[in-house]
Amino acid sequence: MSVKIEVIEGGIPHQKIMIGGLVSTLVCLYLTYLNVLTNTEMFAFFGGLAMITALIWGSHTIKVLCSYGIGTGVPSAGMIAFGSGVIAMLLATKFAPVAGIPTAPIVALVLAAVIGFILGYISNNILNMKIPAMVQALTEMAVVGALSLMGFAALITGGFSFAGLTPVKIMVTSQGLVSTSQYSFLGGGLIAVAFLLGAIAIQHPFNACLGPGWKQDRMLMLTAECGFLSMIVAAFMSFAFISTKSAMISLLVAILGWAYTYNQYICLSKRDAAAWLDAKPIPDMEGH
Amino acid sequence: MSAVAAKPQAGGAMNPTAMAVGVVMLLIIIALCWYVSPGAGLMALVGVIIGGVLIGFGTHFVPVGGAPAAMGQAPGIATGVAMLAAGAGLAGLFGGAWAAEQGLVIATITGGVGGGLMMAITCMMVNFVYVFGMGIPAASGKVANDPITGDSQKEFKSQGTEGHGLPFVSFVGGVIGGFLGGAGGTLIYYQLLKLYEATLPTMIGVPLVQVMPIAVAAAGMFAVGLFLVNAVLTAYNITGTIEGPHDPKFKRWPRAIVASAVASALCGLVAILIVVPM
Repeated sequence: MSVKIEVIEGGIPHQKIMIGGLVSTLVCLYLTYLNVLTNTEMFAFFGGLAMITALIWGSHTIKVLCSYGIGTGVPSAGMIAFGSGVIAMLLATKFAPVAGIPTAPIVALVLAAVIGFILGYISNNILNMKIPAMVQALTEMAVVGALSLMGFAALITGGFSFAGLTPVKIMVTSQGLVSTSQYSFLGGGLIAVAFLLGAIAIQHPFNACLGPGWKQDRMLMLTAECGFLSMIVAAFMSFAFISTKSAMISLLVAILGWAYTYNQYICLSKRDAAAWLDAKPIPDMEGH
Repeated sequence: MSAVAAKPQAGGAMNPTAMAVGVVMLLIIIALCWYVSPGAGLMALVGVIIGGVLIGFGTHFVPVGGAPAAMGQAPGIATGVAMLAAGAGLAGLFGGAWAAEQGLVIATITGGVGGGLMMAITCMMVNFVYVFGMGIPAASGKVANDPITGDSQKEFKSQGTEGHGLPFVSFVGGVIGGFLGGAGGTLIYYQLLKLYEATLPTMIGVPLVQVMPIAVAAAGMFAVGLFLVNAVLTAYNITGTIEGPHDPKFKRWPRAIVASAVASALCGLVAILIVVPM
């Protein structure tokens, strides 16, 4: 039986962050469906925002779980989140829209919750971890992993249907007839990049901010900053799949969001620091 | 106190009820798989479960030191299970994936050799850094004599530490663990790849050569996901650190076998459902 060793008082309660994160992630994922309704790709950036809101929720879940000192390091939590999430997400993309409304995000949510719940049961009972938050945390984390990967898919390709992620067409190029399945989110292996972009962004904030001086708003701001940083990379990748104008919108949103959250994070770090010295990266060499 | 400083005291005891529930869950998942895809799907699931169990069992051999090892206060490689197992497993997986065309046995062994080689190099370089960089000898804190060489450990162990460096038995354990992990990861990849190669062309309606990138990427992604799930579950079983096969924590492996089997069956079933027509 492990002992809870870090205070969690202060800040928004976890339930609120969970509900807020879940609702805003689903809303953002469904907003990417405007692409289909308006027959453009301009709303792909909502996928990135869905990914960031999911990550903010997930990093707070990691905080709740790792407060118990699970002994395996914080990164392992991010790895199991995305390891179980990618499995649920890939199957969920196969579910076709019902009556024009896409079901994939809801299916991903349910499927990931089931996988996460069983993994939580395994760790808590079969492996005898006996950590009170374990089952709920692993359930939430699998959902976060699945939904943020779906966000990445929507951001990069403009949609999240299985057919959209694996377009198999014959393309005429200078080398003759070429199958286009390797120019896709799944076939091109971009999903592996998205996997690690998300897994690092979800585990880094608590790993960096843990300790007696932990402050909730600072950690969540760092999560948003990591999320936007991942979104910049993903937005660059989206140039290969969606129109240049739409990809530019995603890139602009990502860069503006990153600049704002980075600035805010530096301000919060200065607020929480005992003292700070603005050491110049390059020393002034005049007079030498 | 920080989360790093305190180790959880998860007991080494088995929980028979939960183990029984786990076995029942495993049977239910296999039955479900038999229902939706009796032939190729069930065979693939059995392969995935064996691969997952190999990963879970193999991780117990790997000397994981964690943060204390980085300060020379505990034996093992100075990082977490997730990183080490993923490193060894993915090195094996990439090695085995190249050999996938040459059949199950060669692919699995190649994957195992890749993982074992990666762990051997890591263990050797870790000991170089410990001995020549930090100036500490290799000594185990858990046993009086090295079970393989019979060398006495006590004289070399610094006071106030649990041992340091990588004793010979830990090195051998690391190589065995890497071999089992790499072989398990490759087995999962191979089984899923063969299943996707057989089913994806009819599902999408194009020749095999065109769906190969999708089959490879999907099988690879599922293998990576399964690998990480199994590695982290094993990390939970040994609560983060282990010295190798001589560590008392090694005796907890039956729990990890059941846990890995259920987790791999569950994730494997989802991976198989993707090619089942709905």
